[in-house]
This record gives sequence, structure tokens and C-alpha cells, in this order.
Amino acid sequence: MSEFNKLGIVINYEFLKHIRRARLWVILGIALLADALVLILIPVLQDGYPDSVLTMAALMTVGPTFAVLGAVFFAGDAIAGEYENKTGFMLFTNPIKKITLWTGKYLAGYIAVTLLIIFTYIITVVSLLVIYGEVPFDTLKSWGLAQLYGAAVLSVTFFFSSISKGSMGATIITLVFIWVISGIVQSVLAFTGNPYWYLISAQGDSISMVYGGLDAFMGGFGGGEGFGNMFDYEIPTIAESAWGMVIYLVLGFGLSIWIAGRRQLA
Amino acid sequence: MSASIRIENLTKYYGDFLALDKLSLNVETNENIGLLGPNGAGKSTCLKILCGLLKPSSGAAYINEHNVVEQSEQALSCIGAIIEVPEFYGYLTPRESLSYLGRLRGMGGKHMKGRIDEVISLVKMERWANVKIEKFSRGMKQRLGLAQSILHDPPILILDEPALGLDPRGIVEFREIIESVGRNKTVFFASHQLDEVTRICNRVAFIVEGKLLLYDTLEEVNRQYETLEQAYLKLTGAL
Repeated sequence: MSEFNKLGIVINYEFLKHIRRARLWVILGIALLADALVLILIPVLQDGYPDSVLTMAALMTVGPTFAVLGAVFFAGDAIAGEYENKTGFMLFTNPIKKITLWTGKYLAGYIAVTLLIIFTYIITVVSLLVIYGEVPFDTLKSWGLAQLYGAAVLSVTFFFSSISKGSMGATIITLVFIWVISGIVQSVLAFTGNPYWYLISAQGDSISMVYGGLDAFMGGFGGGEGFGNMFDYEIPTIAESAWGMVIYLVLGFGLSIWIAGRRQLA
Repeated sequence: MSASIRIENLTKYYGDFLALDKLSLNVETNENIGLLGPNGAGKSTCLKILCGLLKPSSGAAYINEHNVVEQSEQALSCIGAIIEVPEFYGYLTPRESLSYLGRLRGMGGKHMKGRIDEVISLVKMERWANVKIEKFSRGMKQRLGLAQSILHDPPILILDEPALGLDPRGIVEFREIIESVGRNKTVFFASHQLDEVTRICNRVAFIVEGKLLLYDTLEEVNRQYETLEQAYLKLTGAL
């Protein structure tokens, strides 16, 4: 039996895990709620929806952003859980290469994240069609970047899962690293006029920045471009963000495989 | 007869702690070996190395002449194992779990389904076959552990205190299953239950502080020490 066949088996059963566990449905619910709040609150708090379809499309990227959050909850226990829950005693005594096992878990998690992302983009597309009668082409780019962001976040989570003793620890460290530490460093670097394209939080912003950035965003609300000039800093280009995410994806996954391959189950 | 399990100068350190000290041992095909010794003697470490869960600090171990480190897939394909209290994915049922592990071992189709039914019946888990494992007690997981270890009908069974956590009736049933299944297999079996070892094994190995103190037939041990219990107590320094 080839390792490729075993990979398929691992993906199958790992994906079944995601389907059966509550976290997938909770993340889906949060993502839907985020989109619903945008759709309901904007016309309630101001006179209707923004004039520009691009601004509305950018606002609706909150859904996919929450969908990507799912990657952390799907992958936090991928490696650490086998050691913490001691299920590895059963799994590792089977004739399967560890790299096949971890890759299968990664791909199953990525499929689950992809389903969430696709679902939120369907809501975006339907909403934009109903409200504006059109969907900007940039939505396709935004979706592609969200997929890349999901893969990068999954890889970073795998890395922390490979070095953590417990699943909860891996999940919390990843959340803090991406959304707190990286976010704070990003703000400081942006404020002081330094490049920050290499930060994963900034790369995630590209999902909405693809619609035209802060100036276009404020313009869409009829607020002019004043806010966009408040800070004098260079926003990372989409290409920079995409390359940055590819680096996190490759490094994070590669390191996690290397580290997990050296862990022993005592 | 060829060696099913060959252990050569196996040494394992956990930091500065020496768990296995140049252990050498051959287990011939279809022999049933009881691995005895006090807690912390190195029994589990030895079995975990054989199952590819730990890497030795030095020395080598072979399963059907496959090096367990360098040819781990080939070595693991020859064994069925229960190490510690087996833990399974709680979101799966026993039937699904066995199907997952069976597929990873190249099983499939009607043969696998039939074999799953067979082993579930053997460990008396028919009533629980389609219940999620997250609800299972330790004893039930132990039963499922035994089912998965014999699912693919491996030539070698490696069992680390397989009856741990079972009630008295479960212990008797377990012993009968291992006795019956082990007739045509090599069984390498760590246990503190001397009665179990006497019934199942034809040879015993005593390990104390990581060193092999005695490896002989049960008959010879009984001849030298009168009983297995006497041998255990003398070799472990209790007498």
C-alpha cells in the first residue's frame, strides 16, 4: 500500500473529526454572525449601505477572517493532541510514515478551513448582488488571498502544536502570536514608518486591502481621504503580503514536520 | 527457528537516567515470552522501542529482521501492540476506529468488515460497536485495544500490561483470548500478573534496573526457584 493511499485514509478520518466536532460549526456560526452584523448594522447606523461596492465588499471580509480563525482551532491539537491524549500510542504503532500522518492532518484541516472560507464568500457574493447588483472582480483575488492566509495560519498553528505539550497551549500561543503580538508589532512599525509586510497579521489585512486600501475604504463612506493620510506609512503591497504568507506556509509546516519527527512518546 | 524479535545491546537514557542497560535478547518465532520486573525496570521502555515510539540511545532492535528505527514501517507491519492504556479518538466508534487502523494496514472491503465483526465479538464489545469511544471506560478501551492489536492477524503481539484496568472477569476473558490467539504467534508480554504469565508464556525474561537478569524457560525457572513468584522476589531483591 502506497503512502499516497495512506494519506487519503488519514485525510478522510481527520476530516470526519472536523465535521463531528462542535468547533467547525461554532466558527461557522461566528463567521455568519459577523457578516450578518455588517449587513444589518451599517444601514441602521448610517443612511443605507456605502456608495461603493468595493467598500462594502471590503467590510464583508470579516466573515472570511473569522473563517480563517478556524484553522487555529482545527490544528491546535493536530500534533500536540497525539502526545497529550496518548492516542499516539495507538496510531504510531501502525506502519505509516509520520510525514504522511502530519500531512494528512494538515490537508484535512485545510479542507475544513476552505469550506468555511468558501461559505463566507458565497454570502458576500450573494449580498453584493442583492444590494448592488454586481460583484467586483477583486472578490476573486480576496478569496485567493484568504485561502493563502488560511494555509499560512494553519502552518503556524502546526508549528506551535509541534513544540507544545498540550493542545490548548498550542491554540492559545498561536492566537496570541498572530492576533496580539504580531498585531501590536505591526501597529508600532506602521506608526514609526518601518516596513512590516513580513508580519502575518499585516498579510491577513490583504484580504480586504485588495479592494483598494484605507483611502478607498473611507471614500466609500463619503468621508474623503483624510483618514488615509493620518499616518505616513507604506501599506504592504498585495504581492508582498502573498509572498509573506507563502513563507509562513512553507516554514511553519516544514519546521513542524521536522520537530514532530524528533518527538518521542515516552 | 528464526528470531521474531532480536534485541542487541539496547540502551536508553532519559536525560541522565539509564532506563535500559545494554539489553540483549532473542525471541524465537511462536514463543510466548513474559517480560517481568518491578516498576521502572525498563519493560515499557523496551516495548516502546520495539514499537517505534522511542528511539534507543544505542544498540538495535529487530522485528522479523527489520531494524525498528531504520525500517520502521516494515517492522511495524509485522506487529500488533497494546502499549499503556490504549487511547482512541473519541469522535469515532469502535467499528470506525478499527476500520481506520485496518485501512492503514492495507485491509479493506468485505474481508476487513468480517474481521472487524470477528474481533469485536472476540472481545465482547458487540453492544458498544457503534457507540462513540468518548463515552468508554478504561476497561472498554483496553478491550478495544486488544481488538485492534489482533485485527490484522499479525505474527507478533507486543503487549504492555494488557489487562490493566480490567475487572476480574475481564482479566480472565483477556487471558483466554491471548492464550488462544497467541498459540500461533510470537507474544512478547510485559505484566505484573505472575498467574497470567504462567498461563500464557513458555519463557520469561527478568529485567531489573534496565538489565536482563534471567531469560529462561518457565520450567527451568520453576526448577531453580520452585515458583515464578519466588524467582520474582529473589531476582528483584525482595528476598
